[in-house]
Amino acid sequence: MNVPLTKGAVEALCKGLDVDKPVLQLLNIRQISNASSPPRFRLMMSDGQHSLTSCLLATQLNYLSEENLLVPNCVCLLKKTINNTLADGRRVVVVMDMDILKSAKETGGKIGNPTPYNTDGKTSSPQKVSSSTYVPESPPSAAVPGPSYRNYSSPRGRGGSFTGKTPMKASPMKASAIKASPSKGLTMKVSPMKASPMKANSASPGSSAKVNPIASLNPYQSKWTIRARVTNKSSIRTWSNSRGEGKLFSFEIVDESGEIRITAFNKEVDKFFSLVEQGKVYYISKATLKPANKQYTTLKNDYEMTLHAYSSIVPCDDNQSIPTVHCDFVPIAELENRDKDAIIDVIGICKSAEDVSRITTKNSREVSKRALSIIDETGKVVTVTLWGEEAENFDGSTQPVVAIKGARLSDFGGRSLSALFSSTVMVNPDIPQAFRLRAWYDREGFAVNSQSLTETRSAGTGLNMNWKTLSDIKNEDMGHGEKAQYFSCVATVLYIRKENCLYQACPSADCNKKVIDQQNGLYRCEKCNKEFPNFKYRLLLSANLADFGDNQWVTCFQETAEALLGHSAETLGHLRDTDEAAFDEVFQKANFTTHIFKNRVKLETYNDESRVKVTVMEVQPVDHREYSRRLLQNIYKLAR
Amino acid sequence: MASLLDASKPRINCSMLSQHIGRGVCFVGRVEKVHPTGKTFSVSDGEGKSATVELNEPLEEELSGIVEVIGMVSSKGVITTTTYNILREDKGIPFDLELYNEALKVIHDFPQYYPFEVAASG
Repeated sequence: MNVPLTKGAVEALCKGLDVDKPVLQLLNIRQISNASSPPRFRLMMSDGQHSLTSCLLATQLNYLSEENLLVPNCVCLLKKTINNTLADGRRVVVVMDMDILKSAKETGGKIGNPTPYNTDGKTSSPQKVSSSTYVPESPPSAAVPGPSYRNYSSPRGRGGSFTGKTPMKASPMKASAIKASPSKGLTMKVSPMKASPMKANSASPGSSAKVNPIASLNPYQSKWTIRARVTNKSSIRTWSNSRGEGKLFSFEIVDESGEIRITAFNKEVDKFFSLVEQGKVYYISKATLKPANKQYTTLKNDYEMTLHAYSSIVPCDDNQSIPTVHCDFVPIAELENRDKDAIIDVIGICKSAEDVSRITTKNSREVSKRALSIIDETGKVVTVTLWGEEAENFDGSTQPVVAIKGARLSDFGGRSLSALFSSTVMVNPDIPQAFRLRAWYDREGFAVNSQSLTETRSAGTGLNMNWKTLSDIKNEDMGHGEKAQYFSCVATVLYIRKENCLYQACPSADCNKKVIDQQNGLYRCEKCNKEFPNFKYRLLLSANLADFGDNQWVTCFQETAEALLGHSAETLGHLRDTDEAAFDEVFQKANFTTHIFKNRVKLETYNDESRVKVTVMEVQPVDHREYSRRLLQNIYKLAR
Repeated sequence: MASLLDASKPRINCSMLSQHIGRGVCFVGRVEKVHPTGKTFSVSDGEGKSATVELNEPLEEELSGIVEVIGMVSSKGVITTTTYNILREDKGIPFDLELYNEALKVIHDFPQYYPFEVAASG
């Protein structure tokens, strides 16, 4: 007697729907090898129409298998199942409770002619050998329940290609043991020894006319051909380390789907270096794929390629569809939000370029370097450093559009970019963003009061050079908020108080507390709770600064005071005691000198009295050129 | 000549030469070529344009780099110079001629804020 199987149950389970107590036939059962203790059994269930291979037996039911109650061809009633979705989207049905309705002997044989159900809705016909049918169920990279799964189920599957890396040879043997269409199964197994790709149907061997997208390349498939353009070719580099020496060169290629880096070593360098030219398109096949070494490449691809003796690179003439370069430009204003050491593509107008300079590196090598300032539509400016030949050959006089692919973002001076060995620098590139930038700059960009993210002078905090005039302090009520405010200004020293400019401080390092003269030759520091026979002089200046708008009394501590006066506290202390005239002279000389002051302003309350106090954090000489440029920009802005 | 030194001498570049014919001016530019006689030489301004400078007496020293020339503009656009100043490149901050040119443009675009004439006569 035949117990009817619940038709459509497999389809429903694969779709994630709940089926009420389906009756299914067990086609096969297999133990999954796993390290942890209880064994797991994988079931292949059929509803007469389709077979479902991703069924797991809950461990509490393991006894069914161990006591040989679960035998292929027996009919079962699944009383309780749980449908799980794995991380990669596959569904697994875990059987929590089942009853054996009919034993295998009673059933006699396989009911119906079930075909594997695959999740994208296509059922494979037994005759079709296409790989696509089996494809969706199997993940591209070996994942959960291991390769053994593949072997087990593939003989059943009509579609033959699969991903498992492991014992493929086991499967043909299995195939013969089970009533499948073994012949078809076998042939399919043998041919692709290495796993074929899930995405590309060109897993079918020998399709040289077909071209794979770069995005589909992975180490698990070996038969592919790509057609791409070389975007960046490096020069030959030699290395010599403890393991030996050799030479290499690398290049990056791009096609519509993405980009990837290719490296050739030793013999391949000789073979391919002259063949590969930047900007040209080639067919490339047969190379080794491995995970990308992010240290050496900035491309967005998880893999990189290495050429070997059998690799083939053939020039291609049809290159209209291949983009010339694949860039992901970041607006300069956003660079602040990126992490340091990130690899960035950026495009902008070169506002100014410094002259090329030669630097000696730590390894005692001499390199040329040139710093340029580039600005983009966000109005922000950043400094880009070019090295070597690129630095020497660069001409910034025409304010060209500069695009850099793969520059490293550093936090030097706030934010700045540096061209790496692997970066590509393009001047006036032939891409739409370049034209947009050019148009924007010619229209308005040239006069924009740009804020540079790179502060080469330490007069700024790196990101915010808050330029104010002294009258702004009162006009804007600076310092009245909760937090202190910082600003920079250009001002002239009018007067510095000579009285009480020096105090005796604790000689221990890091302690600047004023010491009390015990009058017995000892000086006591309250903070350190110690007495010392000596002290160190420290400066505490009260100075009056002025600009065209206003004047302001400020306080200068040791470092800034010494910068203003041009003498150390010790010297001044000594002078005060010895040469009164010389001491006065120092203060006189400081009058009417102009500097850039970086200040901190805060409203402070002292015994019911509130006063705005300004402290000088840093004193810098005026860079007249920078100052002029800033003034000019302000004028242009005001003139609009 | 004495009167020339009393009058105001606006700073100009090559494009403004034609507007100051017959007047005393101050021109800052980079020395290009010196005539073999030493009585005349060419200077280029921040925009790259050139002008000719004539001297009363031939040059006694080597002239190179950036110079400031004070003189009168002739009808032919040549500056007949009374005195000149060499802005030495090896001392102090190097002179930025392009920046100077920008400043010049601003001065001439907004004469109301730069009343040099009044200062000179007053």
